[in-house]
Amino acid sequence: MAEPQPPTIVEGATTGDVEDEVQATAKSAEDRKAAAAMSRLDARDDEASGAQVDQDAVNKAMQSLGGSGAAAAKADAKKVKIDAADVALLVDELELSKPKATELLKTHDGDAVQAMKAFVAVS
Amino acid sequence: MPQPLSTKENSLFRQVIRNYEDKQYKRGLKAAEQILKKNPKHGDTMAMKALIMNQQGKTDEAFALGKDALMADMRSHICWHVYGLLYRSQKNFEEAIKAYKSALKLEPESAQIQRDLAFLQIQMRDFAGYIQSRSAMLQARPQIRQNWTALAVAHHLSGDLAQAEKVLTTYEESLKSPPSKTDYENSEAVMYKNTIIAEQGDYERALEHLKTISRHNLDRLAVMELRAEYLAKLDRKEEAEKAYRALLDRNPDHPDYYTKLLEVVNVAADDQAARKAVYDEYVEKNPRCDAAKRLPLDFLTGDAFREAAKAYLGLMLDRGIPSTFANLKHLYVDAFKKDTLGAIAQEYLESKKSSGEKAPSNGDPPKGEGAALYYLAQHYNYHLSRDLAKAMDFVNQGLELAPKNLEFHMTKARIWKHYGNTQKAADTMDEARKLDLKDRYINTKAAKYQLRNDNSEKALELMGMFTRPDSQAGPLSDLIDMQCVWYMTEDGETQARKGNVALALKRFHLVNGFFDVWVEDQFDFHSFSLRKGQIRAYVDMIRWEDQVREHPFYSRSALDAVNLYISMHDSKSLANGVNGTDANGDDAAERKKAAKKAKKEAQKAEREAAERAAKQDPNKAKSPLDENKKKDDDPNGLKLAATEQPLVEATKFLSHLLQYSPKFIDAQLAGFEVYIRREKYLLALRCLKSALDLDASHPRVHEQLVHFRNVLNTKLASLPAKVQEVIKSEFTALDASTDLKKYNADFQAKNSNSAPHVIAAIKAKKLLGEDQSKVEKELADVLSVKGIKFEDAKEVLALLRGWRSKEVDGFKKAAAEKWPEVTAFA
Repeated sequence: MAEPQPPTIVEGATTGDVEDEVQATAKSAEDRKAAAAMSRLDARDDEASGAQVDQDAVNKAMQSLGGSGAAAAKADAKKVKIDAADVALLVDELELSKPKATELLKTHDGDAVQAMKAFVAVS
Repeated sequence: MPQPLSTKENSLFRQVIRNYEDKQYKRGLKAAEQILKKNPKHGDTMAMKALIMNQQGKTDEAFALGKDALMADMRSHICWHVYGLLYRSQKNFEEAIKAYKSALKLEPESAQIQRDLAFLQIQMRDFAGYIQSRSAMLQARPQIRQNWTALAVAHHLSGDLAQAEKVLTTYEESLKSPPSKTDYENSEAVMYKNTIIAEQGDYERALEHLKTISRHNLDRLAVMELRAEYLAKLDRKEEAEKAYRALLDRNPDHPDYYTKLLEVVNVAADDQAARKAVYDEYVEKNPRCDAAKRLPLDFLTGDAFREAAKAYLGLMLDRGIPSTFANLKHLYVDAFKKDTLGAIAQEYLESKKSSGEKAPSNGDPPKGEGAALYYLAQHYNYHLSRDLAKAMDFVNQGLELAPKNLEFHMTKARIWKHYGNTQKAADTMDEARKLDLKDRYINTKAAKYQLRNDNSEKALELMGMFTRPDSQAGPLSDLIDMQCVWYMTEDGETQARKGNVALALKRFHLVNGFFDVWVEDQFDFHSFSLRKGQIRAYVDMIRWEDQVREHPFYSRSALDAVNLYISMHDSKSLANGVNGTDANGDDAAERKKAAKKAKKEAQKAEREAAERAAKQDPNKAKSPLDENKKKDDDPNGLKLAATEQPLVEATKFLSHLLQYSPKFIDAQLAGFEVYIRREKYLLALRCLKSALDLDASHPRVHEQLVHFRNVLNTKLASLPAKVQEVIKSEFTALDASTDLKKYNADFQAKNSNSAPHVIAAIKAKKLLGEDQSKVEKELADVLSVKGIKFEDAKEVLALLRGWRSKEVDGFKKAAAEKWPEVTAFA
């Protein structure tokens, strides 16, 4: 650690809400004033936007967002048969993690030799 | 299910949580025990107790208790959450994510768990998970802007730019009234949206969008720069030219603007006069601007260059600008410019001397002559135009002129360094330091030169003059706290040279640790940056963190560590080899001695620390931080040096090196050495192929080619069939039927005038089984190769030492005769 962490940052972030991370135990009146100003600064986002945002519009917007992201993800999951022995070979020879090795084999249709060739080749 | 408690204990439990949050650990612990007395198997309380204990540094007990808590109450989200927090404090983020997820399944409404999970996911770059978490958080509180922005950032980082833009637009459309003009968060958010549009490559639309927001945006400079960039990208040259000129009017010393202006201005790329005219315009407008005068030197050639250089150099030297050489040395790759600049400086000096420069009317002493001498000393000290004798001559003239001048002393020290005389270099730098004891820069330089002269005690003493005086553990611990990378690297290299493997490893691991901390440091910003609305800076930071280990600071110390591990492995296997008996005895005795010495030093350091502590004001309370700070249980690296598997340790550094600095040939070369020793032939081949691709004529590439083919000749048949197939088809650089001895001899004959190549060939000879003593003799004879540098000879000396050769003393003596100034041979 380079230097003591500022008191407002708590390991594990278990303190209440995002807004109340400003510590209450300020040393002097000056500090307290600054802290109060800071917390007001942060809180303003909430109030201000809360006032401006049309609840209905937000809800409608939320609905229009839903679902569009998930659809694209599953497109390229090819069905390829992978030999466990090949995975083990790649893990040992190329020092890859198991998922990485499986992935590499998948992109080469389960052909271990092709996969290793591609790995060794200079990009 | 949480186990029910009586009302009284319920309020006690709430108090425990409050105590934990207020860091009143002792009180919290007491309250927790009170509950547990009545309900010994109350999972939530056990979990909270574990959490508090972890904060007090009792990690192992905390983990055990955390597990017990889970056993007592598997269905409690608090228990799972705490378990996740424990893992998180251990930096085991993957397990922490799993635990958080379990907690969230039990309590899907908890904003706190959701947030903790989200930060871990972005830290681990689990974008799919982060998008999911961020969507859930937005779902829960859609009225807060930062939740929208955060979801957009999640999509952006995962590469889905269109979706990111859509999220931002959706939010904007839901606003009833436009945000105020001084709303910083809004200003940043729309700029962020603009950069997303541009990143999609749609500059037309980005420009359009920029126009709509430019009026009220608070970041004026960014708006102007982006506008100019978009116009240039869209090939609207006239407008782009105007935009860049506007930027130059703001800041005429920004080289980038000039480069870009010239790209859009209507002049031919080879029309030097016209190009220079563009710059001259700004010289006229801003007579004190340096960039406009200096930058044309980059592209001018021939007489035009000479003229411009003469004007520029004369001006700079007249004013006595010390950084003149540093500003021009990048031109030295061009041989003509190098010679021209040297000649101009020489001319300038002579004209000053003959005219007998008069002091200007304002009473300052004349600067020109000194500046010219300084320039010429640096000129002849620079590696592309090196003539150390001349450099020394100029520096001594300069010292006559200004005996108290720091720069001349420093340059003199550098000249000694280039002579290889680290002793004189360190002494000279120390003299310079004494001229200005309050100058931190010169102090640091002096410490570095001490390290180069293998004097780490003196270096630390010097560094101690500028570290915190009240630091109890002495200057070193302050340097560690300050993450002083250069010192750790240099000291590590010093210790490695002195054969103190343990301490050297310790230093290199420290540097690695600094980088770990920097990766860790981003954690706080996942919430902070969003809260402050500084999104563009946040995205920049995330991208920077992804490549922080590309930094040369990292590659240098990692490479040092890898090489050290390799030499540890080699000396171990050498000790177990043929002539093992006596070498082994020597080695063991030496190691014992080193260990003893280290122990003594540690004790001494401890005693000193205790004394310092005693001397301190006893009334002054110790800061709580010092107590909490974990004590390093291996300050001298003895545990690191005791590793049984140095090559496995080396691989940890190596994988970073190969991942982040694949174009760094030394990394690939070191990678080959590690993998070939570990018999990972495919990985070795990969490094070898990369090295070949980077620089096929590198001497060590030849050595490794021979090495690889030679190993394959005996080992190939024993490898798995599929591996054999890959190697056969991918390793074509050196055919299997080659007569390696002849191939190597040919290589040596062809490169007989280059010492590094000859050394490589001789090393290859040894690999091919040539008689040891013969190889050693031949290596010692490398001294007679034409143009050999003392750096090459140093490598030979290290090699001979590594082989425990009998030639060492003779070679050292011969080298000392050839280079009397080099400290390493003395």
